[in-house]
Amino acid sequence: MKTKKVLSLILSASLAVGILSGCGSASKAASTGTAKKVTVNIFQFKVEFKDAFEAATKAYEAKHSNVKINVTTVGGGEDYSAALKAKFNSGDEPDVFNIGGPSDLQTWKAKLADLTDTNSAKNALDGTLQGASLDGKVYGLPYNVEGYGIIYNKELLKKAGIDTTSINTFDKLTEAVKTLDSKKKELGIQAVFAFPCKETWVTGLHTSNAFFSPEFDGDVMKAFNSKTVTFKYGDALKAMIDLQNKYSVQPTASLDYSSQVEKLFSTGKVAMIQQGNWVAPTIDGIDKDFAENGIGILPYPVKGYKEDCYPMGVPNYWAVNVTKSADVQKTAKDFLDWLYTSDEGKKIVSEQFKFIPAYKGYSTDSVKEPLGKTILAAANAGKTYGWVFPGYPNGWGMDKFGADVQLYVSGKLTWDKLVANEEKAWADARK
Amino acid sequence: MGRGVKMNRSKKPKKREMWYWLFLIPSIAALLFVVIIPFLVGIYYSLTNWDGVNPTKFIGFINYKSLIGDQLFWNAIIFTAKYAFVFIIIINIMGLGLAMLVTRVIPGKNLMRTAFYLPNLIGGLILGFIWNFIFVDVFQTIAEKTGIAWFNGWLSTTNTGFWGIVIITAWQMAGYVMIIYIAYIENVPMELIEAAQIDGASPWQQFKNIIFPLIMPAFTINLFITLSNSFKIFDQNLSLTKGAPGNTTQMITLNIYQTAFSQDHMALGQAKAVIMFIIIAVISIAQVYYTKNKEVEQ
Repeated sequence: MKTKKVLSLILSASLAVGILSGCGSASKAASTGTAKKVTVNIFQFKVEFKDAFEAATKAYEAKHSNVKINVTTVGGGEDYSAALKAKFNSGDEPDVFNIGGPSDLQTWKAKLADLTDTNSAKNALDGTLQGASLDGKVYGLPYNVEGYGIIYNKELLKKAGIDTTSINTFDKLTEAVKTLDSKKKELGIQAVFAFPCKETWVTGLHTSNAFFSPEFDGDVMKAFNSKTVTFKYGDALKAMIDLQNKYSVQPTASLDYSSQVEKLFSTGKVAMIQQGNWVAPTIDGIDKDFAENGIGILPYPVKGYKEDCYPMGVPNYWAVNVTKSADVQKTAKDFLDWLYTSDEGKKIVSEQFKFIPAYKGYSTDSVKEPLGKTILAAANAGKTYGWVFPGYPNGWGMDKFGADVQLYVSGKLTWDKLVANEEKAWADARK
Repeated sequence: MGRGVKMNRSKKPKKREMWYWLFLIPSIAALLFVVIIPFLVGIYYSLTNWDGVNPTKFIGFINYKSLIGDQLFWNAIIFTAKYAFVFIIIINIMGLGLAMLVTRVIPGKNLMRTAFYLPNLIGGLILGFIWNFIFVDVFQTIAEKTGIAWFNGWLSTTNTGFWGIVIITAWQMAGYVMIIYIAYIENVPMELIEAAQIDGASPWQQFKNIIFPLIMPAFTINLFITLSNSFKIFDQNLSLTKGAPGNTTQMITLNIYQTAFSQDHMALGQAKAVIMFIIIAVISIAQVYYTKNKEVEQ
């Protein structure tokens, strides 16, 4: 009898909560209408800077007492887009969300507000808006820019007697790798590379990107509109995969990101990894001194094209939901402008977020960590080229190319068959 | 059924019937809104070109037609079927074995029951990551220290990926299956077993001729649960292999997920889900029908 009573109490309590929460959302909607208090719901994907970003929203709220910003973070590429769809379909649409590039732009077109007139869009660096523009209008504001290459352990390369400044072609990189391999015992490393084929975004998006970039002139929209892919630099791509796979910790097909970066590279068990400046906070969390002084990044050489350059691009864009009230949209835009173009915001972006800024008006030494610094310097010297992988057919890079690379490195698929598979998959997807 | 009640027992049939339906309303409503309506809407979506965001257009059976040539999808079905076959055999032997063990008079049997059931309380995703560490790192270390090649390169080939999934799911589910067997084994009347012992039946004969027929209903339930579960494995697959190498260890659910969410073909994914539903329904109904016939009344 007693348990029954308790049960019914719990039940009625939960019902009451349901009723209350129903009231809550209704009153919220009502108050935004009167333009007194504005609530902006942000749904974003970058887990690494969640805390810093929430602190930034607090700083903005402190200045605008009528604004309340709620941040929800769901991590990872694929999971984010699934979660975003679920969010929209549930009717609980966010006011600000992220889009990844041209194909997201197509998918979400009906929901995107025109951001051409924002200060941020006017101040964006050349080439950073092309992945989020349609018919001359800007629908997304870049988070930041990121670049990748071959990250190396300074101390190990020095011990092996390798001059890193001289590595500016694929052949020289190969030579350095062979030197390292021959001195494995003395250096105390397991292998030269850790090549994480389990992470299909590393192989399928980043590795492939460098070699498809010249095919599409480094233009993501060209890739997006292309009906075919031809593996114009296929031999160079194969050479790069072979090099990383041959001199990697084995088996590569099951090697994942955390093994690569945390377990093997950060602890000095491998000398080189193919990664970008986004690994800096992770390495920083393991060994601060190593992250600040012990690592450098080499260019990502595409044989026969640019051998001393870094692929650099915009990983994600901010979008504002056009179906929301004018007040909300205006506040959302104002927040993004404040974040990227005000002095206070700029300070947060470079110091707290540790971003390589995608906007003008930042001092060149705003980036402190070594990887971002090298890439920013390369960008200023014109030694970067654009990312095209956001223009691949959806799922092609990871589920097709990346998956087949796993079979290729484990000897289950020949390179020629892989090329044929991927050409067909691309053409099928773009029919 | 309502009519049966009316004719047989009630003096006030109308009122009784009303109460009958009144009490059913909550569960019928729940079933309707959470299962039946979404299911029908789902079938409708599989006939459209829905991408998950934008308004849809009815396109008929085009999604289903395109499945015929989808090698990856059929591979996933075959892989899942193979897995289901191995998994069902292993898990039922394991579950029954554990149940026989902990229904004996042995010290600490309650502790053992809890211990065997414990893995079932951990989420599949977390289990996958834990076992991923065991298969990749621990096994690799063992291989290096002992030189036994068998421990090398787990999860990097299709075969080890397959057995990896079998091992973790069997380890996870065995306790659950065990509980159901325990419930039935403990219901077997002691007189029957004692009588058999007096007649000189060996332990194996007791098991085969008395216990086994009497726990047949448990078998029906367990086969049904493990069968439908084995086709619906998702989180363990995602966190353990994610289809690697080369999508060869991809199960149906993961294939559907990738179609729907990473390739943005929501409607095509839905069509695949409908096919999966049909497969599971046909197999499960056939199986329940078949084992029901074998059950004996106590």
